[in-house]
Amino acid sequence: MVFSRNIELKQFRAGLRSGFPIFLGYLPVGIAYGILTVNFGFTPIQAILASALALSGVGQFVALSTLALSESVMASILASTIVNLRYILFSASLSPHLQGLKMRILAGIGFTTTDESFAINSTEIRELRASPHSMFGVGAIGWLGWVLGTGIGTIGAQFLGDLSAWGIYFAIPAMYAALFVALANNRKQVYCGLGAAAITLGLYGLTLLGLQLETYWFTIITALIAATLAVLIFPDKGDNSDGVQVNTDKDIKAAEAAEGVHS
Amino acid sequence: MNLSFEHAIYALIAGMFVLNFALRFIPLALLSRVSIPRPIMRWLSYMPMAVMGALVASAILIPALERFFAELIWFRTAPRECGSTTPELFPLFVHHEIFGMIAAMLTYYYTKSFVGATLAGVIVFALLQLLVIPL
Repeated sequence: MVFSRNIELKQFRAGLRSGFPIFLGYLPVGIAYGILTVNFGFTPIQAILASALALSGVGQFVALSTLALSESVMASILASTIVNLRYILFSASLSPHLQGLKMRILAGIGFTTTDESFAINSTEIRELRASPHSMFGVGAIGWLGWVLGTGIGTIGAQFLGDLSAWGIYFAIPAMYAALFVALANNRKQVYCGLGAAAITLGLYGLTLLGLQLETYWFTIITALIAATLAVLIFPDKGDNSDGVQVNTDKDIKAAEAAEGVHS
Repeated sequence: MNLSFEHAIYALIAGMFVLNFALRFIPLALLSRVSIPRPIMRWLSYMPMAVMGALVASAILIPALERFFAELIWFRTAPRECGSTTPELFPLFVHHEIFGMIAAMLTYYYTKSFVGATLAGVIVFALLQLLVIPL
């Protein structure tokens, strides 16, 4: 069992609540994916299985379009993996806060990590509200929205019509905007975020000038450059002044010990 | 490999599952077992903000720029070619994404609610879509 204690279930539920905006954002995109896959020739079961097991929004869309273009399964898997290389950075970034935990909870958090759950969990870590099981809850509610959306899309492919008129595809970008504000809690982080946005726009500019670079590379290239620049530019003052939480895993462990999470 | 369409799809699903899980789980499993040097910790602590900056730019600013370019071309060519079907309500460049972003950011800043911010962004975006003739 994932939940060995009551407190863990409570934290998991708190995570479900924190992650609810992800559910709202994934539902319409999941519906779009369901419609697209059924039109492509997937059975509803296959579409739902794809969403439930891969749980990777852009990655799944890219796999589908690569399959349509190349008719090669290998190429499609490769394309979706390349799109998702950024997940390595995400789980590396979460790992300092998940020291010494059992593999099953790490597997749960790892499996459900997406851009959005990563962002919400990072915000909650910064606000010292995150626990391993709440982080799993944030991912789980997103998974539910994505799978449920895909299911609705496969069933309602004929009836739903054009959903974009309702502006619901802006749910995920709107969430990004809110998360940007949430993470920008000190000057260095603000500069890092603005710098990252500028780097991405720069990459976009280069593609306009003829650089051959798929847009899904933007995130990973930008994140690597912006975080590296931030570390090089902002001096290490040896404390938490720049938002670097050196003590956090100790803090979290202390909080967990107090709450009895660690057995 | 010569697979039937059905088998090809199952192979694709299995491949995506295994590789996506590996990408997300292996770094977590390895790095949560070692103590991470401080410079790497600092680097990783800038990662969420760096990722979010990139995502805001690619999901909001780039679509807004593309809309801007489309409008620029439209305003320079269309009125002369096909008369006056100009967007009369907003003769200026209106960017749904930018206003949606501002609405979401302000709502989050004042309410600290992600749900509220998401809804505010969607509502502003949808209203602009209704009011402004899409190009």
